[in-house]
Amino acid sequence: MRPILAALLAIAAHAQVTYNDLLKPDPANWLHYSGQYHSQRHSPLQQVTTANVKKLTPQWIYHVDAGRRLETVPLVVDGVMYFTNPNEVYALDARTGREIWRYERQPALQKGPNRGAAVYGNRVYIGTPDAHLVALDARNGSLLWESKIAEAKEGYWSPAAPMVVKDKVIMGIAPSDHGLNGFLDAYDANTGERLWRWHAIPRPGEPNHDTWAGDSWKTGGGGTWLTGSYDPELNLLYWGTGNPAPDFDGDVRKGDNLYTECIVALDADTGKMKWYFQTTPWDVHDWDAVEIPVLVDANYKGSPRKLLVQGNRNGFYYVLDRVTGEFLHGTPFIKELNWASGLTAKGRPIRVEGVIPSLKGTKTCPATSGATNWMSPAYNPATGWFYIVAQEGCGINTKSRDTFRPGGNSYMGTGYIESPEEPWQMYIRALDLTTGKIQWEYKQINSRRYAAGLLSTAGGLIFGGDDQGFLTALDAKTGKALWSFNTGQQISAQPMTYAIDGKQYVAIANGSNVVAFALHD
Amino acid sequence: MRKAPILCVLAITCLAQQPRQRGGRRVRFDPVEAAAGHEIYNRSCTMCHGLDGAPGDRAPALGAQRRYLRATTEDIQDAIKNGIKGTNMPASPLPEADIKKLVAYIHSLRATAVDLDVPGNPAKGEQVFQAKANCAKCHMVNGRGGILGPDLSNIGAERSLAALREALTIPKPIPPRGYQPAKVTTTNNQTIEGIVKNQHNTSFQILGADEKLHLLTADQIKEITFHPKSLMPADFDKVLNPTEFQDLLAYLSRQARSRR
Ligand code: HEC
Ligand code: HEC
Repeated sequence: MRPILAALLAIAAHAQVTYNDLLKPDPANWLHYSGQYHSQRHSPLQQVTTANVKKLTPQWIYHVDAGRRLETVPLVVDGVMYFTNPNEVYALDARTGREIWRYERQPALQKGPNRGAAVYGNRVYIGTPDAHLVALDARNGSLLWESKIAEAKEGYWSPAAPMVVKDKVIMGIAPSDHGLNGFLDAYDANTGERLWRWHAIPRPGEPNHDTWAGDSWKTGGGGTWLTGSYDPELNLLYWGTGNPAPDFDGDVRKGDNLYTECIVALDADTGKMKWYFQTTPWDVHDWDAVEIPVLVDANYKGSPRKLLVQGNRNGFYYVLDRVTGEFLHGTPFIKELNWASGLTAKGRPIRVEGVIPSLKGTKTCPATSGATNWMSPAYNPATGWFYIVAQEGCGINTKSRDTFRPGGNSYMGTGYIESPEEPWQMYIRALDLTTGKIQWEYKQINSRRYAAGLLSTAGGLIFGGDDQGFLTALDAKTGKALWSFNTGQQISAQPMTYAIDGKQYVAIANGSNVVAFALHD
Repeated sequence: MRKAPILCVLAITCLAQQPRQRGGRRVRFDPVEAAAGHEIYNRSCTMCHGLDGAPGDRAPALGAQRRYLRATTEDIQDAIKNGIKGTNMPASPLPEADIKKLVAYIHSLRATAVDLDVPGNPAKGEQVFQAKANCAKCHMVNGRGGILGPDLSNIGAERSLAALREALTIPKPIPPRGYQPAKVTTTNNQTIEGIVKNQHNTSFQILGADEKLHLLTADQIKEITFHPKSLMPADFDKVLNPTEFQDLLAYLSRQARSRR
């Protein structure tokens, strides 16, 4: 048989992803970690609604042999699903869950998690446990190139899903807790060549270097371990940065410790910083500000504004002007918050004296695990509400003098335990976009640990999940649970949705599986 | 060409999907010792084993595509020095130094191609790959080429020289998993030709000759015909002259990735 070039086919065939597609994804596809550049995680798909969600049933389950606690967000391009496990990429037929190819990188180092891939052209990109950026052919999984991001021997690794902007792959780095300084990189999407690097810790001679006492900047932290957002009109990338190191002992790094725990706006072409907003200056509780910055154009006090909102690990919900970085509004989205009495007009926390780690332990609310964490929030333009996973609870935070030891050793200056008085409790909350006022909350009974992030759909639904393995659909207006399914394994990933031939699917990684749901036909 | 209604064909050829096993064992050996060992071997061992490590009348090949019980230097050395009890493999009276060379030679037979200094002109081999033999139509090397066949950017580090030679000259009895050529006619009378990446009674995942993925459920398929032979031509010892063939081997054997 001689294969002839197939004639034009009506059967859907997988096509290349263009920058235009990334700008305005076909609602049937899910092309970014957070759905779209603005990270609203709101899908226009509306086959599954508040009225029929009860009929949502599993369509297939794919088991990952080496999977443990998958945190991957699957992407879908024209019916092909791509998801990751550390050092592995899977391409599935998204209708049937059947494998098309898989990529297994050697050595099969399993340091995890890996949160997902990016797609562009005929390529799939991932970060690896040994801090490389890898490009594969999306059609057969062949390795095209790999670029070293940072020295794995020093302790760096790359759990975040990359983001493609124009012809660049934007890629962050982890961790912050080892005294390793963070950065954000851009790589040529075709060749893997590094085009720019933004350093999260200013070096000697650079502005704000003096926010670090002595040599403390050298082991400053500020990782970029989640995926940010992008505004194509402003050509600005928005990324959150991680904690300063050592996490709990601030005595050795007096100063504001810029640009740790900041939301930064970077020029996508050059990596030059346009503005920054620091959520927790001189943090001593490991409250990374990497949580997804969500971009919304909305009326703020009567006039249209380009907003950036973030529910931060420190317990505050922030509303910023994303053109200038101006702080507009901030309010707690949790009830148990004891470390700050509020925010100044500029958004700086007003610290409560004494709520810092101590030798015998200091009760700190929220706990270090945070008021929220890597669980993605969602924004529904129809309700005008921001939906967030919230943890109520306190920790007992301690400090000790630590020594930086190179080679990937933790440099935390001690840590925290769950407060025995205030056991943690998980919620899904709806906040008014501009005021942050809580509109409703859904208590995840018996759930104390982080689990799934959120997905909003035009069917009026919010999908979330818990540490007991349930995927749940809530009414976006009321917070009432309309459907729940026990997936059987703890969920640690974000749900997503896609469609094939008009049929809407909702998928999520749970434990060692990926499971896809659709209405029973 | 085998033509049959879909379910009947499935019953015969339905294969469980497994990841392709890639990546040969990288063994260390001294090429000078191996060359000396080659001579000693052809002189001392070929009344039973075959010439150049091939199968012989009374003993197995030493560098075939098969599993060997003895893979480490110690184990191979022990077999030669002490023989294999209960078999016709005798203890060799050769001096220790010669046995060391024999071991190096046996390692070289089993090594991946990149560890050998395969003679030939790799630059000319690349031309053969790109132009005369048109390998690039189906194979990608370093991001350039077709995708119906496996990516060959690292093939020298994954396969032995013998395996490369075999791939180019001996047709596989059946197409390997993930490379089954097929022609599909859909219920709305479209035709798709390509290779089957995965298949089940309920669905087919096909990489088309148009280099696109076609994902079909069984009820979209009117007829599917499986071609019994792989797309890989495997007659290159006839199509190419000996110099071209050797240059191509020299080129392929040097395809090994280095990490940035
Ligand atoms: C009299 C015949 C004979 C001669 C001569 C002979 N062999 Fe063998 N050899 C055998 C047979 C038969 C076996 C298979 C034994 C078995 O059943 O596993 C064997 C097995 C081996 C094996 C083990 C392969 C494995 O399973 O891993 C090695 C290595 C080997 N021969 C090396 C040599 C070398 C080197 C020489 C020359 C110095 C040599 N042999 C000479 C008969 C012979
Ligand atoms: C019409 C398409 C086509 C052409 C032309 C072609 N190949 Fe292949 N080749 C394949 C396919 C499909 C496979 C996988 C199935 C198989 O091994 O039979 C393959 C397999 C191979 C393998 C084995 C790979 C492995 O992982 O073991 C090698 C080596 C190879 N080809 C080299 C070549 C070279 C060199 C040429 C040119 C001289 C060439 N091929 C021309 C389609 C092609």
